[in-house]
Amino acid sequence: MEQLFDLALINSALRVLTPILLAALGGALCSRVGLFNVGLEGFMLLGAFSAVVGNYFFGNVFYAILFAIAIVSIFSFIFAYLSINLQANVIVVGIAMNALAAGLTTFSLRAIFDVKGAFYDNTMVGLPKWNIPIIEDIPVLGPILAGLTPLVYLSFLIAGLMWYYFYRTKSGFRFLAAGENPLAAKSVGIRVRRYQYGAVLASGVLCALAGAQLSLGQVTMFTEGMTAGRGFIALVATMLGQSGPLGVTAASLLFGFMDALSIRFQGLALPTHFTQMLPYVVTILAMFFFKNKSFQQDALKQGSSSR
Amino acid sequence: MNKWTKLTLPLLQPIAAIMVGLLAGAIAIMIAGGDILETYAEMWKGAFGGMYFFTNTLSRATPIILIGLGAAFAFRAGFFNLGAEGQMVFGALSAALVGLYMPGPGWLVCIVAIIAGIVAGGLWSVMAGYFDARFRVNLLISTLLLNYVAVLFAGYLVAYPLKDRSGSAAMAQSEMLDNSVWLPKLISGMPLHVGFVLAVLAALIIFVLLKRSVIGYEVRMLGGNPLFALFGGVKRGPMMLGAMFFSGGLAGLGGAVEILGSQYRYIDGALSTADYAWTGIMAALLAGSHPIGTLIASIFLAALQTGGMGVERNTEVPLEVGAIIQAVLILFISARFTYSFLKRRKGNKSDGTAV
Repeated sequence: MEQLFDLALINSALRVLTPILLAALGGALCSRVGLFNVGLEGFMLLGAFSAVVGNYFFGNVFYAILFAIAIVSIFSFIFAYLSINLQANVIVVGIAMNALAAGLTTFSLRAIFDVKGAFYDNTMVGLPKWNIPIIEDIPVLGPILAGLTPLVYLSFLIAGLMWYYFYRTKSGFRFLAAGENPLAAKSVGIRVRRYQYGAVLASGVLCALAGAQLSLGQVTMFTEGMTAGRGFIALVATMLGQSGPLGVTAASLLFGFMDALSIRFQGLALPTHFTQMLPYVVTILAMFFFKNKSFQQDALKQGSSSR
Repeated sequence: MNKWTKLTLPLLQPIAAIMVGLLAGAIAIMIAGGDILETYAEMWKGAFGGMYFFTNTLSRATPIILIGLGAAFAFRAGFFNLGAEGQMVFGALSAALVGLYMPGPGWLVCIVAIIAGIVAGGLWSVMAGYFDARFRVNLLISTLLLNYVAVLFAGYLVAYPLKDRSGSAAMAQSEMLDNSVWLPKLISGMPLHVGFVLAVLAALIIFVLLKRSVIGYEVRMLGGNPLFALFGGVKRGPMMLGAMFFSGGLAGLGGAVEILGSQYRYIDGALSTADYAWTGIMAALLAGSHPIGTLIASIFLAALQTGGMGVERNTEVPLEVGAIIQAVLILFISARFTYSFLKRRKGNKSDGTAV
C-alpha cells in the first residue's frame, strides 16, 4: 500500500485532472444555458492536435496554444450556429463533432506530417514546468506542486473566476437566468442567444487548453484518439457537479485521482486492461450518487425552450 | 404545398447535406494534394467498381446496417443508446466463444452462436437501461462509458485466458473458428455472406413493426412526445428495457455475423478500428431513424469507407477522407436548413411561442 499512496500520487493526480477540469468547466457553461455539449471530446482532440501543429510550425508554446484556441473556436462556432440558429439536435451535433474531430485529426496527421498513429518531434517544446522557488522547499506542499505546468494553476483559477462570475456579477446572473428559463429571460430583455454563443465559444477555448495540456503537458506528442474518453468523463464531472464551478472541481478531483491511481496500478502485476477500466467504472458508479433530473422535467423544459 | 414539393422536400435535405459533405471532402483532397475528380473516381471504383468491390461494400455494410437499425429503434423510442460498440463487442465475443467451445453439428452451433450474440448484446444494453429506469443514471453517458469497459474486458479475455497460442503471432486474438460453423457465402468467391440477408430482413421487420403494431405505435409515441405517452398510459420503464434489449440485441447480432461471416475469430480492436458502431449510429441519424432509410444510409456510408480504401490504394490521399465526408454529412443533415428556409419565405415566423 505504501508504494501506492504518497505525495507523488497527488502530484500526478493534479496533472491528469487538468484536462478533465478544463473541459468540464466548459461543459458546465454550456449546460447552464441549456446546451448539453457532447462534443467536448472532439473539441479536446482538435485542441490537442492543433496545439502540436502550432508548436511544430511556430516553435513557441504560447503561439501554439493561441493557434489551438483559434482552431477550436472555429469549430465551436459551427457547433453553436448549427444548434442555436439552425435548431439542430444538440446531441446529434455533438456526436457528429466528435466524429469530425477524429476523422480530421487522423487525416491531417497523414496530410501534414505524413505519419500514422502518432507524431513526435524533438524540436517541439513542451509547456514549461514550474518549480516555484519558496514553495519548492516546504515539506508537504513542495512535492505536491513540483513541476506542474501553468495550465494546472490556470484551470483552478478559471474555476474560481467562474464561481465569481456566476454568483457575484450581474452578467453572470443573467447568464444563469438565460439557461434556467429562456422564455422568461427573453421577456425581460436578456439576449439569450448571445449568452448561448458565449458559452459555447468559451467551452471551445477551455477545451483547446485541455487539449494543449494533453499533448504538450506530460508528453510532447500527439497520438490518434489521445483524449480516450476524457471528454465524456468531463461530461460526467459536469453533471456530477450540478454544473456549478465548485462541484465540477470536486468531481474532476475525484476522476483525476482515479486516473492517477490507474496509472500507478500499472506498475503492479495487474493486467493493464483492468487498470485502464478503473476511471470508467468509477465514473459510472459515481453517477449512481447523482440523481439526474427526471425525464418529465426535461420534456417540459424542452417544450418551453425558445431556441 | 402541391404534391410534387411534398414528395421531393424530404429528399432535398439529405441531398443538400451530401453535396456539402462532398464539398468538404474535395477541400480535404485539395489540401492533401490530390486531384479531386480522380480521387472521387477512385472512390467510386473502390466501392462499386466490379462485382468483388460491390459485394465487399455490402459485406462491410452488414454489421453497420444491424447496428444502425438497433440505434434507430432506440432513437425512435427516445433513448440515446450510444453503447453500440460495447454491445457489438460482447455479441461478437459470445458468438466466438460458442463457435469455439460448443460441441455439435456446425449449423446448430452457428445458430446458437448467433442467438448468444443477440442475448449478450441485449443484456449489456439492458443493464444501462435498467440503471436509467431504476436509478436515473443518464443513459447517454452510461452507454458511452460502458463501451470502454466492454472493449477492455474483451481485450483482456483474448489477451490472457482465451489467447490463440497455436500460431507464432503475438496478436491478442481468439482461436480460429472451425469451417463448419462459418456463415455460408451468398456467392462463392465473394465476401458477401448470409448475414446481409439477415440485415435486410431485420430492416423490413422493424419497418412493419413500427408502422403496423401496437408496440411500434407506443415506441413512436414515447419518442415523439414522452409526456403524451405518459398520459396515454405507456409505461416508460418496461418500454425502456424492451427497447434497449432490442437495440442492443441488434448490435450484438451485428457483431456475431461479422465474426461468423467474415473474421472467423475475435481479434482485439478489429471491430473498433473498423468503426462499425459509430458508422451505424451515423447511418441511423442520417436516415432520421427510418428503418429502410437506415439500410440505404448504411450501404452509402460503407461505400464511403471501402471507397476510401480504394483511394488510399491508388492515390496519395489518406483513407480518412471518407470519415471527414461522413462527419460533415451528419453535421449538416441535423440542421434544419430547408425547414427554416421555408418558414422564412412564408413569413410566419412564430408558431405560437415567442421567438
